[in-house]
Amino acid sequence: MQSYKLPHFPVCVHAALYTNVSDSDSLRKRLIAASTAEGLDGERERDAVNFSFIEARLITSVNHLRTAVYQAVLAEAQGALRTKTVHSEIIWALNPTNNISEAMRRYGVSDASTSLVVVRVAGPELSPEVIERDMDATVKGTKASFTELQDLTDWAAVKKYHKLGSDVAVREAKGDLERERIVVDDIVVSSVAMKSVMG
Amino acid sequence: MTSPSLTLISTSTLISQGAEAKVYKAHLTADPSDAPILLKHRFRKGYRHPTLDGSITRTRVAGEARALLKCLRSGVNVPGVRMVDASEGILGIEWIDGQSVRKLLPGGAGEDDEEQEEDDQIDLLQEYDISVEILMQLIGQEIAKMHLADVIHGDLTTSNMMLRHPSTFKSCHATLRTELVLIDFGLSYHSSLVEDKAVDLYVLERAFTSTHPDAEPLFASAMQAYEQRMGKEWAAIGRRLDDVRLRGRKRSMVG
Repeated sequence: MQSYKLPHFPVCVHAALYTNVSDSDSLRKRLIAASTAEGLDGERERDAVNFSFIEARLITSVNHLRTAVYQAVLAEAQGALRTKTVHSEIIWALNPTNNISEAMRRYGVSDASTSLVVVRVAGPELSPEVIERDMDATVKGTKASFTELQDLTDWAAVKKYHKLGSDVAVREAKGDLERERIVVDDIVVSSVAMKSVMG
Repeated sequence: MTSPSLTLISTSTLISQGAEAKVYKAHLTADPSDAPILLKHRFRKGYRHPTLDGSITRTRVAGEARALLKCLRSGVNVPGVRMVDASEGILGIEWIDGQSVRKLLPGGAGEDDEEQEEDDQIDLLQEYDISVEILMQLIGQEIAKMHLADVIHGDLTTSNMMLRHPSTFKSCHATLRTELVLIDFGLSYHSSLVEDKAVDLYVLERAFTSTHPDAEPLFASAMQAYEQRMGKEWAAIGRRLDDVRLRGRKRSMVG
């Protein structure tokens, strides 16, 4: 797990990558149940899954992830969230359109997800050890280094969702895989960063 | 509570200030492995009504960010967008390590001792492993790519072009170790009109000949590279450029 501070906000961000995730279907069901559960049990359950569960194959780089987290935290600080929590906002920020349920379907955990990025935006008082323990308790999978992210990325799906197929920049880089990935990552990161003014 | 973006600015290093905006070098996270970014803050203008000021600022930040994304998608070398806070008038873009083209060409360095200046330029060109001739071609090519995407820069000068330092990125070009990057899209707009493209070129031509009078003959190779890249679109733009040279940037409204 990696943790970093956003010094201009009262928050610390914790993120971990899990591969070989085997329980994504039950995890998804659990999230849906938790969101509607009532009473004290509901509170407790929501607390236990208070993370952003992100489809790792759609993340092109650490920079991509951090850009989405930053814009979500900024929106929360300004009282400008479009979704209910900062964690769902991260997922919304990743998707190029304004459709929330589409964002959840694509960038959130789905039954077919085998690798997940789990993010927790927390106050500085929560220790990384506790958060990591809670993450490990929620996700059944192998924890991996973020250096593996690039190999997990489904570049075809990224290009499709961002409609990059016909872009000159991407067409020009065709045949040079490394260059194409840099170009795609650059466009995707920029799209996430400026989503608030795209409309 | 003060806004987080203003706190961010208060901890950043001011690089330059104009009438419209201040530019800073900043870090979004406390993680030292994260690259720095460049912040462009369109500060509040006291001479405008606050409501109008807010909406003008928002529109301009959005416009600049959209122009950058359009360029990125069209394969024009520009800095990527890294963060946007339109309500505060802040645009965060990729930090480019390198040198302004203005400083690489004769006349651009300022009033310093002239011989000293020439030596510096030769050193710089060597550092970037590029000849003036190739540099001029890159300028023409990059502007052509931008115009083919129907983006008009609006303020083309050699100060608004940079060369990336060879040590800070991996060039995808076989023989070239640097890259020409167009910056400052604050006055840019979308247009497919021949007139707008011709005026964009004319503005550069004027800026170039006044900043680098000694390098004027070189400008032809930039134009040649532009011509080549534009293909069949060039004929109309070239014709219009001749008209613009005769009448100046502003179109006469007489008649």
